[in-house]
Parts: sequence; structure tokens; C-alpha cells
Amino acid sequence: MAEAALKATGITKYFHDPVTTPVLKNIDLEVTKGEFVSIVGKSGCGKSTLLYVLSTMDRDYEGTLEINGIKATGRSLNDLARLRNESIGFVFQFHYLLPDFNCLKNVMIPALRLGKLSYKEIENNAYEKLKMFGVEDQALKRADKLSGGQQQRVAIARALINDPAIVMGDEPTGNLDSKNTSIVFDLFQKLTKEFHQTIITVTHDEDFARRSDRIIEMADGAIIGLGK
Amino acid sequence: MKVSVNTEVAITYLSARKKQTLVAAMGVMFGVSMFIFMQSLMKGTNDYFEKMSFNTTPHIRLYSENKVADTHMMDTYLQDGSVKILDNPKQLIQRQGIINPYGIINEIGRNPNVAAITPQVTANVIYTSGSVQLNGTVAGVNITAEDKMFDVKGNMVTGNLEDLNHVNNSILIGKGIADKLSLHTGDNITVGSGTGSPIVMRVIGIYASGVKQVDETKSYANIVQAQNLLGKDRSYVTDIKINLKNYNTAPEVARELETLTGYKAEDWVQANSTLKTAFKIRAMILNSVVGVILLVAGFGIYNILNMTIYEKIKEIAILKAMGFSGPSVISIFLQQAIYIGIMGGIIGIFFGFLTSYGFSKVYIGGSSPVGGALNYIPMSFYLPHYIEAIVFGIITTVAAGYFPARKASRVDPVTIIRG
Repeated sequence: MAEAALKATGITKYFHDPVTTPVLKNIDLEVTKGEFVSIVGKSGCGKSTLLYVLSTMDRDYEGTLEINGIKATGRSLNDLARLRNESIGFVFQFHYLLPDFNCLKNVMIPALRLGKLSYKEIENNAYEKLKMFGVEDQALKRADKLSGGQQQRVAIARALINDPAIVMGDEPTGNLDSKNTSIVFDLFQKLTKEFHQTIITVTHDEDFARRSDRIIEMADGAIIGLGK
Repeated sequence: MKVSVNTEVAITYLSARKKQTLVAAMGVMFGVSMFIFMQSLMKGTNDYFEKMSFNTTPHIRLYSENKVADTHMMDTYLQDGSVKILDNPKQLIQRQGIINPYGIINEIGRNPNVAAITPQVTANVIYTSGSVQLNGTVAGVNITAEDKMFDVKGNMVTGNLEDLNHVNNSILIGKGIADKLSLHTGDNITVGSGTGSPIVMRVIGIYASGVKQVDETKSYANIVQAQNLLGKDRSYVTDIKINLKNYNTAPEVARELETLTGYKAEDWVQANSTLKTAFKIRAMILNSVVGVILLVAGFGIYNILNMTIYEKIKEIAILKAMGFSGPSVISIFLQQAIYIGIMGGIIGIFFGFLTSYGFSKVYIGGSSPVGGALNYIPMSFYLPHYIEAIVFGIITTVAAGYFPARKASRVDPVTIIRG
């Protein structure tokens, strides 16, 4: 019934250094719109690698990847940059904010890049997003003046600024305490339920994973379980 | 105001590291101001020497020159189109002086490029005062026209120039001659050429052009006087001196006049070929110095941007992950280079002007207190130098900024973020 937000077929990837070893072995994965998916597995099983392939940042793989029904495999770097800007929000394990900018600017930059709205509207939206994570009072501080947890929340706000169809997170709550983790989780859930945005996260947090719609368990570069 | 996000990022990066930006801009500033200073000094010096050479040389000098025999008579006579080879051609003696000089002067006067024309009779003479003799030349001129062309009045040490027109057998001698023969205004001097009989002339004035060689040999006399010295008639003229409205057109106009009159027309560029060579060499030295300065400034910018990129490689990866394309990243870093260039360029222009202005007020003292002497460092204030300087400055920064920017655009977000 639901449309696929992301469809990966036969994804295979090798690491070539020091010797050629397969890290992803013929992975097929379909995520429907509005789904909240967690990818779990031991470290080194290839879950982060898979996430980077799905995010279109890593182009060195075999197989095909479709995002919102559009084939992403084999497209130019600039096309993919545009696609990421518009449809994918990415939250990293570490916040990776731009320290020379204030928090508000950090959140605004992807939207300014997209250039669909006026500066004022973007500023407004960015404030809204910061408010959602309770960091609006830090908006005008430089990003490197915030605590780790606050920075991570700003980073998540930044990932959401363009209302992307898919939000990807590489351990997005890895540096958050349980209170903040649950704030983020509730928010992610709200995004999927109310706005039909799709969430794909790699996580070590079993509790976090268990509460999501679907758990994909990986081992040795292959999917061994499509939970729930 | 709509500022592109690339510009905003670029400016934020620049202002976040003010000290480094300033150092880079100072490199450009130094290059640009040096460029302006050197160009101004060179043009000032060249202009000075050019002006100096025009104190003695007209833009074009028309005179009769002995020619080597050629085949044109045979061509005219035979008219068969065959190639004639002249074995061992000899110099043909030409009549000294220009035939129908006043007709030619009228003809040349119609050329719209010509500003002034004056005939001259040049006589090689021996000056005698007491028992001392001195070789030299007498230029028989219309002193009023000569003054208009060469500003003889400005070179006068004593005496009145106009007396040359009124006083019979009068002569205006160079300071060198006056010193060597111990002459003063009002003294008499015997002047003899090889052909006419020697004439006793009265010194009505002394001039100093600043060129030693000229001051020690050349005198002015009325054109009729010079004709008398040589024992020639009133239509005898050896040179026609022509000044143009724009002296840079001299070579072309000279060729035109050669075809028109059949006489040799020597333009000032030919007459001062050593001067022109000196200009060229000076330009070469200057351009290499300025080139090196700009190159060093370029390396400074290259270095600073490169360091910025190493330092910000994670942020570049993030920007790319968020959807900044390669060209966007190039734009961010190239813009930083351009702003450094513009900033340095503008400060450099002011600084260059100030330096040039300051140097133009430095007294260096001329060898002779009158006429033509170089009292201050010659500087020209010439707008195109300033425009060139800022253009070169910006080109350098863009060239220096492009390579680091391209490197930044090639950052692979996956390798950087995953470490």
C-alpha cells in the first residue's frame, strides 16, 4: 500500500585496503514512507557503511539505489548533492556543527543552500526547529560554545530544516543522556506519524531500537533479521 | 539584500580568522602598491628622459642623406620586369641641403598631425677666442620657432633670446663653450666653417640644456647668419624639424613624409634608440620584480587557504553531506581569495599612491641649477597603472585561490566523516 521512500537492490561493497574484503553482501532493503527503521548489529558489521551508501554520499558500491522512486545510482556528484540537500537530512554521531557560525545560522545553512524560501521564512523555520528541541535560547550563541548534548540537538534541528523525505542518523543519540534521547525519539516518532517523513537510524541503543517501527539486524555485511 | 549562502559562508570564514586574512591581504597590498610605485617611478623617469630628448631632438628631422645606388633607374629604363643585380653598388653623392625647402615646409604643414615646423641650417664650425679653438656646430634657426619647439628660453642662463633676431652677427652659445673659452655676454668670438670666411660674432646669451655634450658644442644663430657662415644662398636649408601633436605617431608620420618628399625622415625613436633600449630594459627589470612580488603574495594566499582547508576539512565534508555541490565549495573558497584580493588591492592602491606621492617630493638635487635638471624623483600619476595594479592583484589571488578551492571541492565526505 505505502510507497517506497528508499529502495536498495543488491548492494555490494568492498573495502580495498589493505586487501579486498566484502563489507556489504548483496543487500536488498525497502523502506516505506513514514517508517521508522533502526539498523542494529555489532560494530564492524557494516551498518554504518550501509547507511552512508543509502545516504548517497558513498558512491563506491554495486547494486542500485532508489530514493523517492528516483534512481540515485550512477548520477553525478552535483546531482546527488542537490538530492541530499532537498530530500535527505543527516545526523552524525558527533554533532559536526560549523563552529564559526551561531546555532541559528547552522540550522539555516542547508535551507539557504536550497534557496526555496526567503531569508526571513528560513530564519523563522530554524527558530521553530530549535524550539522543538528546546535549544532556542542558544540560537545566537556560537556553535562551539554549547554543551555536547545541546550541540547534538542543534545538529538534529539542522537535519530537519528542509523537511527532508528521509532523515538518516548515524547513532544520533549516542552522545545524549536518556532524557534527551527520549525527546529525540518522541520527535522522530512524531515526524513519521504526523508528517510521513522516513527515519533510518543506526544505533547501539537497544531500547531506542526496540521502540522503532522496524529493526534491521546486520551481521558480517548481510541482513540477518527484519524484526517486527 | 540577498546574499548567496556561499558568500555568507566565505565571509564568515574570513572574519573568523581576521589575523590571517589581514596578513594575506597585506601580501596583496604590498604587491599592488609596489607595482604602482615601480610603474609610477618608471613612467616618471621615462617621461623625464623623453622630455629631455625632446629638448634637443625634434619628433621628426627631415634631411638629405647620401644614398646607395639601386636598380630603380634600370627598372624604369628597361621595363621588362627582370631582376637586376647591381654588383658592388656605390654611394651616390646628393646635393647637400634640401631642394625647395619652403615648398616642402608648406606641403608638410598641411599634414593634420603636424604641430610645428621649422627649417635649420647646421654648420660644423670652429670657435676661436684668442688663441683657443673649439670644434662645434652652429644651428641656424628661426629662434622664435625654435623656442616654441624646444623651450630654449627656459634654458637661458644670461642674455635675451630675442636679440638673435635683432642684433647683427649675434650668437647664442652653450654654457660649456662659454666656460671653455671664458666668454661672457657681449664678448666677441670668431666662428669659421670650412667653406665660408670666418665671421666675428657677438655673444648675446648663454644657455644650458643640462646635456653636457650639447652645451659644449652647440650654438644658435640666425638662419641667415649660418647660411653666411657656410657661404651659401638664402634657400640653403640642411634640416627641417617637425614636431607632432602626438609624438607617439612619429614613426608612421616619418614614413609618410619620406614617401612624400624623398628625403630621409628620422623620427625621435630612431634618433634615441639607446634611450628606447634603456626603457625596454628598465621595463623588464621592473616587471620581473613586480612579478616576483605578486607571485610571493600569491603563494601567501595559496598557503593560507590551504591551511584553512586542512583545518576545515571536516566542515567541508559536512557542507557536502548537507548538499553543497563541488562548485559551491569552490565558490566558497574562491570568494575568500577574491575578497582578500579586493581588500589588499584597495589598500594597496592607496598605499601605492601615498608612496609615489611621498617619493615625488624627495629632493635629489640636479647637477645644474638651470633648465632640464632633475631636482625631484620623477614620478608620474597615471590612472591606468592603478587599474592594472588592482586587476593583476585580483588575477593573482584568483589563480592562487583556485587550486586550494578545487582541492576542497574534491573532499570526499565519507572518508572524512567516518575517519
